[in-house]
Amino acid sequence: MSSLSSLLDGFASVLSPQNLLYAAIGVTIGTLVGVLPGIGPALTIALLLPVSLQLDDPTGTLIMFAGIYYGAMYGGSTTSILLNTPGESASVATSIEGYQMARRGRARAALATAAIGSFVAATISTVLLAFVAKPMADLAVTFRASDYFALAVLAMVTVTAMVGASLPRGLMSLTFGLFLGLVGIDSLTGQARFTFGVPELLDGVDVVTVIVGLFAIGETLYIASRLKDLPAKVAPLEPVKGGFAWLSRQDWARSWPAWLRGTLFGFPFGALPSGGAEIPTFLSYTVEKRRSKHQGEWGKGAIEGVAGPEAANNASFSGVLVPLLTLGIPTSATAAVMLAAFGYFDLSPGPQLFEKSPDLVWALIASLFVGNVMLLALNLPLIRVWVKVLQIPRPLLYTGILVFATLGVYAVSGSVVDVLIAYAIGVLAMFMRRFDFPIAPVILGLILGPMMETQFRRALLLSDGDLSVFVTRPLTVTLLGLAVVALALPHLPKVWARLRGGDAQRLSFAEDD
Amino acid sequence: MSGTVQEPGAAKAAPGPIVAGGMLFAVGALLFAQALALAGERGYAPSGPGLAPVIVTGLWVLVSLGYLAESIRNRAVPTEGGGSWRTPLLLLAALIVYALVLKYTVTGYVLATAAFVLVTARTLSTRPVREVVVRDLAVAVGLSVGIYLVFTRLLGIVLPAGVLPL
Repeated sequence: MSSLSSLLDGFASVLSPQNLLYAAIGVTIGTLVGVLPGIGPALTIALLLPVSLQLDDPTGTLIMFAGIYYGAMYGGSTTSILLNTPGESASVATSIEGYQMARRGRARAALATAAIGSFVAATISTVLLAFVAKPMADLAVTFRASDYFALAVLAMVTVTAMVGASLPRGLMSLTFGLFLGLVGIDSLTGQARFTFGVPELLDGVDVVTVIVGLFAIGETLYIASRLKDLPAKVAPLEPVKGGFAWLSRQDWARSWPAWLRGTLFGFPFGALPSGGAEIPTFLSYTVEKRRSKHQGEWGKGAIEGVAGPEAANNASFSGVLVPLLTLGIPTSATAAVMLAAFGYFDLSPGPQLFEKSPDLVWALIASLFVGNVMLLALNLPLIRVWVKVLQIPRPLLYTGILVFATLGVYAVSGSVVDVLIAYAIGVLAMFMRRFDFPIAPVILGLILGPMMETQFRRALLLSDGDLSVFVTRPLTVTLLGLAVVALALPHLPKVWARLRGGDAQRLSFAEDD
Repeated sequence: MSGTVQEPGAAKAAPGPIVAGGMLFAVGALLFAQALALAGERGYAPSGPGLAPVIVTGLWVLVSLGYLAESIRNRAVPTEGGGSWRTPLLLLAALIVYALVLKYTVTGYVLATAAFVLVTARTLSTRPVREVVVRDLAVAVGLSVGIYLVFTRLLGIVLPAGVLPL
């Protein structure tokens, strides 16, 4: 069956009232948490896992989660434009020019180019996803255990190397995640590892516990240590001026090429195991700045600087879904949680998913189109609602985050030990923020580590313990080679600069949460 | 400056990253020793359970040394202000008490949560009590009762009812 007809079936399934409701709930919650500082899509999905298990509807739940992921990107742009505090790290590039536009009475234009650009990018990239996914899955059927091992290595290394301020810190975060992944009973032999005599640790550390600790508890404790530094001023919305959808003719003319270029950056970078949306958003920002005919406006609110990165941000999400759905490899923290969500429903993303549950996959992909239409409606006409949300008093917001965090861990485990583990991880995460360690590699280590170990040992079992299996299969070798390149890549500008005798900053990006 | 382990409280002092690096290294070394002990029992066979812990904790030790070296190299660079440690400590205490009260007393979800919300909101707030007390009370009651009813009645997730006749 062709991708197109599968997609049409997917639409038929999504357009049922129940799935439409899930999509609507997802995009609304997503926008909400995207707008709110301190809570992101990864945390939200983790907290909703226990609830969604009760609903017992995998398709609906995953449609909702995808909506949350997308919605958080739309919501994040609102916060970065109006408050200059990027709700999500992928919105950092947007906030640079976006907040300047808002300060100069062009908030509506900035919000509109962000929302419409997101919509355009998401639609194009979802079409690409629909046509890439099936061939990719067919190709992935031929992957063996050693290839999966190499893929997991590549994904971990690239994300770690690209994220954060320094390689040792990124690697330290990754190692901590890998360690957490080791805790518990070894799945192949039943050997207990690093359980320190605590029976609750035999099942391992649950991904929900870790995410709640890292994001909810850690972020709140960190904020609490620097209450005085909180920004407060929300830029006001100006009265509606003319133009179609708040954009003048010139705004449209300057926005649409930036949207398209942003999409072209976003999708492939999301699809490659390179760590989500940060790289393409900053690339797009840089390219738009370099190409712009309005150099004088940069730093004072150039609309291309909002249009490009926002488009790249949203396009990268469809890209992230390619390795997630076809290979079961997450490349961002949120994707890692979605992978865990699949696991809760006894579904394993990967090539088999397209054969075993094609309905679910295509309904999920079709829901992305529907969700984006909803988000456009939710974010432009209803922008005043989200401005109100931005004005929630910070003490109550963070208190609420702590209540829901505790509830989430308690509801999924029923054990106070798990809650205390989450708090302990939260304390660590507070210090990680204090000392500028990236958070995302912890999650990826936790999820990818056990996957890597299992595939490694499976490959060895299949080859009768012959280690040469990792250096004789061309695909495995290529992937491992790419991992080495990825480790070196962020340092190339420095090396290059040193060769030319100049001084340059290392390529680094804010992290995803 | 060496990477010796100091009191955790010393982390707020200027050489914070160096202390953090030293502690990371110490913890890593302990875990590495434990991994070696396990591998001693189960062997280092690549297909067995002993190898991965040795690799991961070994990597931990190496990376923490790398971080320590980086911190020592950058020790002249002033880090941003340490911020206050009082509020996070209070919050953490509130969280732990909250979890223990939930589990081991008959207070129940609604009362424990309402009290937690009031205490936490107060801890995080910089405004005088009388300006926000009504708002905080309303949120405390609304949030705790709301969550309790939605989770127990609609979603079928059990939360401790406690002394309130809910």
